[in-house]
Amino acid sequence: MRSQFWGLYVREILRTFRNPFVILITVVQPFMWLAFFGSSFSEVPKTYLEGLFHTSDYISFLLPGVLSTSMLSVGMFGSMSTIQDKRFGFMKRILITPTSKELIFLSKAFGSATRGLVQIPVMVAAALAFGVTFSLSPLEWAAWILGLLFLALGFSSLFLAVTAPSTDWQTPGVVSNFITMPLMFASASLFPSQQFPSWMQAIASVNPVSFSALLGRGFVLGTGTNWWDLAYLALFAVAMTAIGYVVSARWLRVE
Amino acid sequence: MTTSIAIEVHDLSKRYGSGKGRSVLALDHVTLAIPSATIFGLLGPNGAGKTTLIKVLTGISDITAGTARVAGFDVQTESLQERARVGWVAAEVILDDDFSVWENLWLQAKLQDLRGWEERAAQLLKYFSLSDVRDEKTNHLSTGMRKKLEIALALLHQPEVIFMDEPTIGLDVGTRRMLWDIVTGVRKEFGVTILLTTHYIEEADILCDRVAIIDEGRIVAEGSPAELKARVHADLVELELSDGVDAAALRSIPGVQEVKSIGAGWQIRVASSEEFLPRLFAAIPTDHVRKISVEKPSLETVFLDLTGKRIGAEEPMGDIRKFYAQIRRARG
Repeated sequence: MRSQFWGLYVREILRTFRNPFVILITVVQPFMWLAFFGSSFSEVPKTYLEGLFHTSDYISFLLPGVLSTSMLSVGMFGSMSTIQDKRFGFMKRILITPTSKELIFLSKAFGSATRGLVQIPVMVAAALAFGVTFSLSPLEWAAWILGLLFLALGFSSLFLAVTAPSTDWQTPGVVSNFITMPLMFASASLFPSQQFPSWMQAIASVNPVSFSALLGRGFVLGTGTNWWDLAYLALFAVAMTAIGYVVSARWLRVE
Repeated sequence: MTTSIAIEVHDLSKRYGSGKGRSVLALDHVTLAIPSATIFGLLGPNGAGKTTLIKVLTGISDITAGTARVAGFDVQTESLQERARVGWVAAEVILDDDFSVWENLWLQAKLQDLRGWEERAAQLLKYFSLSDVRDEKTNHLSTGMRKKLEIALALLHQPEVIFMDEPTIGLDVGTRRMLWDIVTGVRKEFGVTILLTTHYIEEADILCDRVAIIDEGRIVAEGSPAELKARVHADLVELELSDGVDAAALRSIPGVQEVKSIGAGWQIRVASSEEFLPRLFAAIPTDHVRKISVEKPSLETVFLDLTGKRIGAEEPMGDIRKFYAQIRRARG
């Protein structure tokens, strides 16, 4: 079982990072986010920023949020890879071995999550270039990264569960648009949720993207790590992985 | 474990869909017993149920009714054990083209949970003359090499049974013949049972020890190619005439067993075409014959005899992967 998981997981990683476009976009995208979105408040008076964001450093505020929203979209790639395998018959090649559908699901979910995590060092390097400073506490670093891993794993599992019965190339894109946009804006990732209307605050209060953004923000802004945020993200990851596991066993189409 | 019967199928049916008018009976009470270390052909036209049978026997599709055992394991209740003992060669070559030849073997070894697979992999590469390209990406290989690699992948875990689903579809004549040599060589060298599906008459005739003819989900005949051909004690003459002639006139010619109207002509079963043709030309002026063809007993005439239709020319491909496979082959 470990052998099959490892084979398929490594396949996911190698296929992703042997594509020069993926590497290019992975490196360039964080800089673009911080440069374009992060700089949009650069001319705003500090008192206004402090009133709104509780910090005058909007890039430090933004960094955990941008990384959290990036984890939202990684699931799409796992779904696309699964649909490609179905359409080109590779899913059959995998399943005519002692490999279960559940293992395929797990390898795709962890593969996508790993793909998302690669953005962390790139984003941190970009943030350092923009003058952001970080705590050196290994525990807080670990909590932030673990939170992002849980978020990526949860959304990867959700995407894979939703697209398990599909063989249509368009499905992951459509599902991504449907999930990503509302969850990105109805979260504390880009703006403080206290400024939202009450119905959006209600969504943001249960949205795992908010929990990940707040967890990271506590670390980056030095206000302290909230371990309940991490626990919530762990629960989200476990729940989504369990749902994806069951759904894949039952509904993952072979072709 | 080696069994004397490698594949045992009993009263197996497979229905796709449900509800009146919306379901299709793809396999209809199929019963087969395939001895170990044989090349067994499943011959039939597109849509006859060949691929469905392979899907069921490899655990990809569920069974609606009946039972099937492969390499001693029930394909439904002991699927994982069964899948550890079978190999699969697809109609289209399915490899991971982001990987090299060796990496494809590595992945297959992982999927089969093999230890110490490297020596076996190296032997297979040598056997298939692929050692020199072991570090090449598979999309740089020729179609023949890709097909060889696919067979090597199927053999890596020393399976008892290999399923080959239309393995030569879309291949040029040279590559097809090379593959026939490989298939017979693999059976001899590795002692595996090979179940292959085909709609090529010649392939079934030359390659297979035994053949089952399948049509509309039913096995209509089974035996060695020689046995099957011996069932048809007749030659087949197809005739097109410029002037009208009635069936009674043709039936009156000695040696004629049966006369059927087909389109603009006639299909005539005769005991011996060598004796029939002089009699035909004595009865009908030669210049009235627009077209004539004679077929000696073959698996095609067996199929025609049993089903009233020909296996026929290739139909348009319903399977998108077969289409992609042909595009890839066309690109060379």
